[in-house]
Amino acid sequence: MKKIFLIPCLIYMAAASSCSDFLNVEPTTAADAGAAITTAADAKVIVNGLMSKLASASYYGRNFPLYADAKGGDVTITSQGRGYDYLYVFNHSESANSYSSIWSQGYHCLAQINNLIESIEKLKAAGSSENFDNHLGQALTARAMIYFDLVRLYGEPYAENKNAFGVPNVTTLLNSDAQELRHTVEENYQQITTDLKAAEDLLSKTKANGFINYYANKALQARVYLYMEDFTQSLAAAEEVINSNVYTLYENDKWAESWTTEFGTESILELGVYPNEGDLGNSSLGAMYRRAAHGSSAILGYFTASTNFLDKLAEDEEDVRWSVMAPDELSETSTHPAERLGSSYKYSGSTVLAGDKKTGNSTAVNIKVIRLSEIYLIAAEAALKLSSSDKEKAAHYLNAIRKRSPNLALATPATINMDMIADERSKELFTEGHRFFDMMRWNRSITFDDDLGAISTIHREKTIDRTFYKTILPIPLDEINANPGIKAQQNPGY
Amino acid sequence: MCLTACSALHVVNAQQMSIAGKITDAGGAPVSGVTVTIKGTSLATSSNESGLFTINANPNATLVISAVGYAEQEIRVAGRNTIQVTLQSDETSLDEVMVVAYGTAKKSTYTGSAKEIKASEINDQPNTSFEKALTGRVPGLQVTTTSGQAGAAPSIRIRGIGSMSASNEPLYVIDGVPVISGQTSQLGDYIANSNNVMSTLNPNDIESITVLKDAAASSLYGSRAANGVVIITTKRGKTGAPKIDFKSSVALSPTWATDNYESAPVQDQINVLYSVLFDSRKAAGLSDEAANTWVLNRFNNNFGRHGYEFSTNGTSMWENVNIAGRTDGVENREGKFFNWDDALFRTGIFNANDIAVSGANENTSYYFSLNYTTDKSRAILNDYNRVSGRVNLTQKIGKMLEFGSNINLAKTKLVGMNDTRNTSTSYLFQTRNLLWPFYWPTDYKTGDPWTARYGSLAQNQLYYNNEWENWSNISKISAIESLTLKLLPELNVKTIFSYDETETKDHIYYSAKHYSGATDNGVVHEMSTNIQKLVSSTTANYNKTFGSHNIGLLAGFEAEKNNTDYIRATGRDLPNSSLHTVYTAGSLNSTAYSWGNTIMSVLSRAEYNFAEKYFASASFRRDGSSRLGPIPRWGNFWSVAGAWTISKEEFLKNITEIDHIRLRASYGVNGTLPTSDFDWRALVSYGSKYMTLAGGGLSNSANPNLSWERNYTTNVAMEFGLLQNKIFGSVEYFNRTSKDLLQLVPQSMITGFSSTMRNIGEINNRGIEIEIGSDIIKKEDFKWTLSLNGSHIRSKVVQLSQGADIIWTDPTGGDARTRFIYREGESTLAFFGLEWAGTDQTNGRNVWYVNAEDGQGGDFDFNGRAATYDYTKANRVIIGDGIPKFYGGVNSDITYKDFSLGLNFIYKIGGKLYDAASRDVADDGYYWERIRSQYFVENTWSPSNPSGSLPMVSGRDLEDVNQVSSRHLYDASFLRLKNVQLAYKIPSHVTDRIRMGAARVYFNGANLLTFSKFKNADPEVNQYSSRGWEIPIAKTYTFGIDFSF
Repeated sequence: MKKIFLIPCLIYMAAASSCSDFLNVEPTTAADAGAAITTAADAKVIVNGLMSKLASASYYGRNFPLYADAKGGDVTITSQGRGYDYLYVFNHSESANSYSSIWSQGYHCLAQINNLIESIEKLKAAGSSENFDNHLGQALTARAMIYFDLVRLYGEPYAENKNAFGVPNVTTLLNSDAQELRHTVEENYQQITTDLKAAEDLLSKTKANGFINYYANKALQARVYLYMEDFTQSLAAAEEVINSNVYTLYENDKWAESWTTEFGTESILELGVYPNEGDLGNSSLGAMYRRAAHGSSAILGYFTASTNFLDKLAEDEEDVRWSVMAPDELSETSTHPAERLGSSYKYSGSTVLAGDKKTGNSTAVNIKVIRLSEIYLIAAEAALKLSSSDKEKAAHYLNAIRKRSPNLALATPATINMDMIADERSKELFTEGHRFFDMMRWNRSITFDDDLGAISTIHREKTIDRTFYKTILPIPLDEINANPGIKAQQNPGY
Repeated sequence: MCLTACSALHVVNAQQMSIAGKITDAGGAPVSGVTVTIKGTSLATSSNESGLFTINANPNATLVISAVGYAEQEIRVAGRNTIQVTLQSDETSLDEVMVVAYGTAKKSTYTGSAKEIKASEINDQPNTSFEKALTGRVPGLQVTTTSGQAGAAPSIRIRGIGSMSASNEPLYVIDGVPVISGQTSQLGDYIANSNNVMSTLNPNDIESITVLKDAAASSLYGSRAANGVVIITTKRGKTGAPKIDFKSSVALSPTWATDNYESAPVQDQINVLYSVLFDSRKAAGLSDEAANTWVLNRFNNNFGRHGYEFSTNGTSMWENVNIAGRTDGVENREGKFFNWDDALFRTGIFNANDIAVSGANENTSYYFSLNYTTDKSRAILNDYNRVSGRVNLTQKIGKMLEFGSNINLAKTKLVGMNDTRNTSTSYLFQTRNLLWPFYWPTDYKTGDPWTARYGSLAQNQLYYNNEWENWSNISKISAIESLTLKLLPELNVKTIFSYDETETKDHIYYSAKHYSGATDNGVVHEMSTNIQKLVSSTTANYNKTFGSHNIGLLAGFEAEKNNTDYIRATGRDLPNSSLHTVYTAGSLNSTAYSWGNTIMSVLSRAEYNFAEKYFASASFRRDGSSRLGPIPRWGNFWSVAGAWTISKEEFLKNITEIDHIRLRASYGVNGTLPTSDFDWRALVSYGSKYMTLAGGGLSNSANPNLSWERNYTTNVAMEFGLLQNKIFGSVEYFNRTSKDLLQLVPQSMITGFSSTMRNIGEINNRGIEIEIGSDIIKKEDFKWTLSLNGSHIRSKVVQLSQGADIIWTDPTGGDARTRFIYREGESTLAFFGLEWAGTDQTNGRNVWYVNAEDGQGGDFDFNGRAATYDYTKANRVIIGDGIPKFYGGVNSDITYKDFSLGLNFIYKIGGKLYDAASRDVADDGYYWERIRSQYFVENTWSPSNPSGSLPMVSGRDLEDVNQVSSRHLYDASFLRLKNVQLAYKIPSHVTDRIRMGAARVYFNGANLLTFSKFKNADPEVNQYSSRGWEIPIAKTYTFGIDFSF
């Protein structure tokens, strides 16, 4: 009997003595943050994770490109209530439809970058002999890209008022009770260009599928300087990319096919969206522009091309860009007897949903962040707008793209003007996340095709320009609640 | 010393006589194996198969009659030669022995606040799990049922809401061991679902349920006891020959318990839609004629595809739409409309069959049971079934040792569950929302199934139901092994080792034809969630009486380890529609990982009473948990309590009206652990795969100082029995302050994260619980007991981080459902939204109170307050409180001869409920193609109904109805006849003739009557006092029979 009594006592003592071990339970999906980055290979894993986070639905995977197109006037909606129509009708306030995911995901990505940069600096200071250059270069370039995106969403265009509030400029990993305030648009652009320049020489010059290389950095510089209206630097950066010959333009007969392939010859920065990773299925970017019920009845036919855009593209019925357009839902109804090729299938691979990976999956399609075509159009615009305009060069670069409309006359130094370049950008970069930002920096007004779907809205006029307060997003209410100091810096009108 | 003490009692008296006796149970059946001991000696005998015994004893001796499962009795011989003994079951003995934390206690001497429910009070109800049966039985306990779907898990709140982010569910303890509760399925990541691991416990295996409410009762469970504890004890065999119990019942649910947003007649529906669409065209600048044409075109397109043709006599906004049939198909549908209600709902059938074999002798007691239950709910494609078996065994080994083993095996299967407000995944109530009677499952032209979406987001579920499937299977093995060592009569040591393995297997499949599987060309997920729980506890119990001093001491140690292994395999691109297996898929994807936590504790309790008149007790527990960082890991939890039985005092002895009065009070501390295992450590997690490469990143904003929530509870109670116990009951006051609340505290998103888990804030719940009963009639063959219980709770937020409000959305449906606010000084369930002022009777428009802080603003005055037509100009305020003023139950039990009638009412007085579905069924124009409810059509303003209380329909992008506002807030008061039970016990002269032990037939009716102010749907809502499109609760009629051999 005594022995039996001893058993629990022994269990007690054995367990009590190993208390600290028993109470230490390790996670199986994560490592302690302090020990996660020690080698270049670890840094690489963090860069992979960063790219994945950039490609999430909250950011490049859908919300960011969608924002620029839904509001740019080249697309419209046929009916309200299907989803994301609040973008089109500008139905947002700080508390409702604030579209805050890019704010939160952008800063989440910045935290990853700042943590990586600080970790690398610490390792270097501790004498690490590992080569972190490429990872550091990618991190700095990505930081510039994110700030560039955030300042375009939340700040007035650089040329309009660079002293207006941009976004808080954070380059260190913050602790959880930090409350940062906004910097000016100009300060943001200073940070952006500083990071881009610092990253240049750290990056590899070979084509890097799915990651950032030297030319992605340069292409971003071309874009940033264009927005800053520093046309000399913009042109120089664009020409360096063009003249490197690492990338080549798609020929007309290859243009349609380019959308069915990942990492084509124009692809300077392309984020990978793979099945079982960031595939958004029926809510992917591609699904936003498809005809209702195409591929699945959960595809609701969110956005279609505006009449104005279709008219523009119809200047040449043989324009190669028609190859990614297919009939939208209005084609079948009695009120629209003619076939209306309003649905964009760029991000579905093809009009028969080929995808870009030859897998049968048509929603896991990579996001083209920067294509060579855009760099040509940047070069054309920068050349045209140089203080001493180089119309020859401008026409040369524009025509490289304009020839995709074989029946349209090429531009000459005599005929070239900003409208031609603007229209070409609209046609070439349709649904790729540019139009709204272009219209804002050009200070052009946007007229929405509300007539097509007989859309009546109380949230905006039919025609808007950048004086309309809702052309920049409100600082989200959640941010203001947690960071009260920023309330006084809310964008006007909200 | 023990030996000397024992042998000193062995005084044998020479004057002995022979005594013969018969022992029967309450029903008159003889009981064998009952131990008869002469008090103060070790002389004993036991009864034979006929219940007879003989023993030699002193004529002045006292016999102690003890039998497993029955109350111990002491009978004075008083010179008698023959003695008749009727055993009283434990359950019905006068001074009930309750199961409490780490032991048992007599109700009359217990210092804590606990309420025991005997199985006999709650069985016979058609529930797959026991929780629902507790409704209205325990003051201070609120059981809410979110859904009427089979297998749904109810939610239990004991004494209000004590936590903001951590769990508010109580701790469940089965046979002395904390168990897994709630949902175990991972299907929630894919579709909203509800499976309940508690349903693996067969309600018929339950002997008793004790609810521990105050700190004195529960703080012995320490870091998990802040929300109260529910202790479940399973049955064990009772002394006597083997007994076979058979129970069988069938329940039918042909109708819902209440109306559910009853639709307007089809003519009214189309007329409203006509007005909405007409108005939208007028807004776009069309003429009356053009608008009329446009609307009729749209009707003829969207509904015309299903065989109808539409016309109007005039072209105004308020036309009657003529509906005709088309004759160009195989079917003319003129005058016929499809009844989706009939197609998607059925008569629910619940069937339970139980067989149990039990018995016991001096050394062994056994209880075996087998159960098979099926529950087919009112919704098609929603079936539950359970097979469970149990073996409860105790065996004495020698005089000092007792070995116990409780083993439960169960398998449950739940098919086709889905509850959500989201119209694209929950179709069940689209019949009242989107599935127009114009939509048919077949094409009128060809007769083939209709596979496209209908004109709205609705689809042909009769077709899609064949294109998807889902189920959730739970397999459970639980073994609780115990060893009790009776070292001394006063001292025993008990060690329990328990192992529980709960495996939940989920399957979800969408065919290539289903909208959710189309882009994948068919997809199937298989998931396995395997939870292992090991608990080891050892306690020593010492109870000793010195004269009038009674002492009880307990000390123990407990360790618990929880681990969950999760595996998922997904196959996409399925080659064959009849094969729903991952194996066949073209593209495979899988994951596997595990998580867990551990707890280690020491615990102790001391109890003292003097002459069962003055009582004192104290408890202490120290817990360490892996869910907290190494420094704040250990916490102390304790309680003190006292009681005074005033009626035992001399000065009350002579007052015959007072039978029993007792005061008790307690104070103590217990806690709630964080729900996440790793909130305290900063992590880089590796879930961000990129282009088939591993990717990682910082995944949380960690708080290394994270600790428990702490609950400080004061409890004061008075128990009474008056007028020969004609009136009895208790009044109890409690005050529960929860401090250091676990909260996801929002932080600036510029930090990269939106929140950190912190210990911040304070909530106070205080209230009164009343229980009052009366044996109105207490005759031999006619008894009537009536009892009433009620609780009043005041639940307030006392303190928040820097005093800042926290706005939160309903966890059961997110922002689309409703919004709440935590604000200092306000209720913990304060609805937060716009204040709807009503409908302007002059023009039918929505009017909103501006509620500006300075009381100014607004476009005009309405009822003397600043108001506007533009909701964007209105400020959000607290619009109502979801916590009722008073709630509880009324129970009446009448027994007349062999008949018994039980009535169980539940009630709720005060508080608001938020009806999220009313934004769908009473939509004044945001979403055009909705089916409007009858009540909306009747009450909507129009030129011909200028006193309508709801706004005029409009097609002008009207978002008013979508705002979280007081427009959707209703009084939540209701009274419901939850159960009515009529039973007939077949007389023993009949059962004896067919050699049967006992037999009983019964009828139970559930939810038969409901009285409420909210008429549109069921007023019995979930724990957040909100409702959406859940499957409603049905009226259920149960017919059952029990018999034993």
